[in-house]
Amino acid sequence: MIELRNVCKSYNKGLLRAVDDLTLAVPPGEIFGFLGPNGAGKTTTIKMIVGILAPDSGSIAIEGRDNRSEPLACKAVTAFVPDEPEIYERLTGLEYLNFIGDVYGVPAGLRAERAGRWLDKFELSAVAGDPIQTYSHGMRQKIVLSGALLVEPKVFVLDEPLTGLDPRSAHHLKEAMRGHCDRGGTLFFSTHVMEVAEKFCDRIAIIHKGRLIACGSLDELRRQAGESQSLENIFLELTEP
Amino acid sequence: MRRLKALLAAGLRQNFGLSLLKHKVLKEKKDLWLVLLAGIGFLSLLPVLVLYVRGLGLLFAILRAAGQETAMLTLAILVGQFFILVFGLFYVLSAFYFSRDLEFLVSLPARPFEVIGAKFGVILVNEYLTVLFVVVPVFVVYGVMAGKPLGYWPLAALVFLLLPVIPLALSGLLVMAMMRCINVSRKKDFLILAGSLALLATVLFLQLGLAGNRSPEEMVKFFSAADGLARLVGEKFPPCIWASRLLASGFSAPGLGYLALYAGGSIAVLLLLLLAAEKLFYRGLIGLSEMAVRRKKLSSVALAAGFARRRGAGQAILLREWKLMNRTPIFLLNGILSIVLVPVMLFIMVRTSAGSSSMAILKLLGSGNRLAEILFAAAFFTACGCLNGTASSTFSREGKTFWISKVIPVAPGRQVTGKFLHSYLVAVLGVLGGSLAAKLALGLGWKSIVPAAMLAFVAGVLLTATNMAVDLARPLLTWTNPMRAIKQNLNVVIAMALDAGIVYGFYHVSRLLRRIGFAGTGLIAVLFVILSLLAALSIFLLARFADKRYTKIET
Repeated sequence: MIELRNVCKSYNKGLLRAVDDLTLAVPPGEIFGFLGPNGAGKTTTIKMIVGILAPDSGSIAIEGRDNRSEPLACKAVTAFVPDEPEIYERLTGLEYLNFIGDVYGVPAGLRAERAGRWLDKFELSAVAGDPIQTYSHGMRQKIVLSGALLVEPKVFVLDEPLTGLDPRSAHHLKEAMRGHCDRGGTLFFSTHVMEVAEKFCDRIAIIHKGRLIACGSLDELRRQAGESQSLENIFLELTEP
Repeated sequence: MRRLKALLAAGLRQNFGLSLLKHKVLKEKKDLWLVLLAGIGFLSLLPVLVLYVRGLGLLFAILRAAGQETAMLTLAILVGQFFILVFGLFYVLSAFYFSRDLEFLVSLPARPFEVIGAKFGVILVNEYLTVLFVVVPVFVVYGVMAGKPLGYWPLAALVFLLLPVIPLALSGLLVMAMMRCINVSRKKDFLILAGSLALLATVLFLQLGLAGNRSPEEMVKFFSAADGLARLVGEKFPPCIWASRLLASGFSAPGLGYLALYAGGSIAVLLLLLLAAEKLFYRGLIGLSEMAVRRKKLSSVALAAGFARRRGAGQAILLREWKLMNRTPIFLLNGILSIVLVPVMLFIMVRTSAGSSSMAILKLLGSGNRLAEILFAAAFFTACGCLNGTASSTFSREGKTFWISKVIPVAPGRQVTGKFLHSYLVAVLGVLGGSLAAKLALGLGWKSIVPAAMLAFVAGVLLTATNMAVDLARPLLTWTNPMRAIKQNLNVVIAMALDAGIVYGFYHVSRLLRRIGFAGTGLIAVLFVILSLLAALSIFLLARFADKRYTKIET
């Protein structure tokens, strides 16, 4: 469960409002897609949810706990994958996963089973012992995802997780996320791919210039737009400069 | 030429963060305090500068009485060029081969000499800032006290501007040759480290190792000549003699000859570097990031073995720091450089110039006074352990991966403990290296070394925590060149200044303790207790500071 209440964040001493009075809730079991043009405030929102940025005002709760007053409890149930896989290049894939396992307290027995599964699915088993420095962009993205999946948290927060993934890996990830939400987990993810949002998400929010301009299931968004258009057309109409 | 100019302008903006600073100060209205801090920092240097200038005035008077005043110029130029040559090796290595903009630069329609020329220009500007306060006061004091004519000043400016060119270009040539050979190997990181240390050892040996062992007759000959001392000082690096003679002679016929030698030599070495860049640079660079990889599927048994051990979060962070530091040649070289360099330099100096007056003074410093010997050794060991950038760049080194530290469910105070243990381990190695050098080079007895090392170990805790706090206050996370995180990081300089201040403070504490009646073992015990209390307090405060600060660092 993720809840944002009246969250605001600005830069340049208040001159640029990146996120403006954002209120939304993502209940357990729901795949929540977060859409918006470049610079709309998606990444800022995501960074505030996972504790990288602090909001100027408002509150964010993960599984009912405030992420500023109880940050460790929130982080313990959340796994985050950023849009750019900036990770420790000089570690091997295996060492990175072990590090994640250690800091999240994943038991050693479970690590081999979970990591083995995801390394296999993402076709990383052959390179797991190599330094991340030697990985391609897509492989780095997959090792970060493997780290997140190793933790098996209640809440996944993924920023453009499909960028750079090959179709097979993207398919595996979508399957895993569907399974996670079916088991009562929460998924909050941003994307630019309308087709993915349309087919994959239970609910979609569109943010523009920091403000939430639409939120609901695809059918609800269509009703709001007044006709049976594609998500792409709704998006283009709502976010027109 | 237009491309070179554009690359240089972009490089300077990137290196000094000019665009970012302008954006933060003018648009975001943030970091204005940084500009003020830089101003205050500069002003706080003024008293030191005044003392330095006065000292130089005194030195000039002494040297003039012996007719050797030119030696002052030679010495200043030599010191400047020597440091640029030694430390420039790693700087050049990092900028030419490890900065993150290289992949982008290589893809541009620019010739290798243009890329290297721009990078060289950026390093050059950095080196001006490094030697500015050492060399310029010497030129000014010499010019004023020797009553030099107006023509001296443009020549002094020219000498200053060309001063880093030869040592940096030589560093560049050595590094490019080394990297050209290393790039064909599979064990690149190891060879880069080994090769860099070998280059450094060669330079040190040539500069320090051959300086001593001169007969008394030779010394008399040197001092009886008009600029004999200058020649003695600069004989291993002729450009500094050319430069000092150019300044001493001015626009006379011999002066113009030295001008031709100095300026011509600088331009020739620079051209050689650019020419070599065309042949060697891309061959050394392209494929450098390719590493020998196994590409062999891990069996389930191997996977289980790899994940067999579960560590605590603090231990995992310590291990991460250790691996990342040791596997990044630039970090390793800058981190371990001083803990290896200082003892090695001491050893070489003592071994090769045992009879010289400076070594005699060093040995006499503690003779007959065990307490002074222990305290002096403790300060030296502390310097060996802590005067490196490991602790003061521990957060900055994370760079763009700092987001991981922000999202993991480990309290910042606990994360900092893992980081502290890593930095302190480096400090302990430095103290041990210093102790070994003191034993082998100076013949210091164990009765002095052991208590001195004990004091240095606890002082190391205090200084490591202080250095980490400095970096935590303003970590530099936006670097593209790893050298910026450790060598060009202002936090490292500030931390070193603070360390020096703390050691100086303890010198006064020792004096105070003596004045109120403490002596010998009693005084050392009291110092040990004070240091231990401060060490414990510093760790506690660092953890508290981390808990507050981590939430405010935005990436």
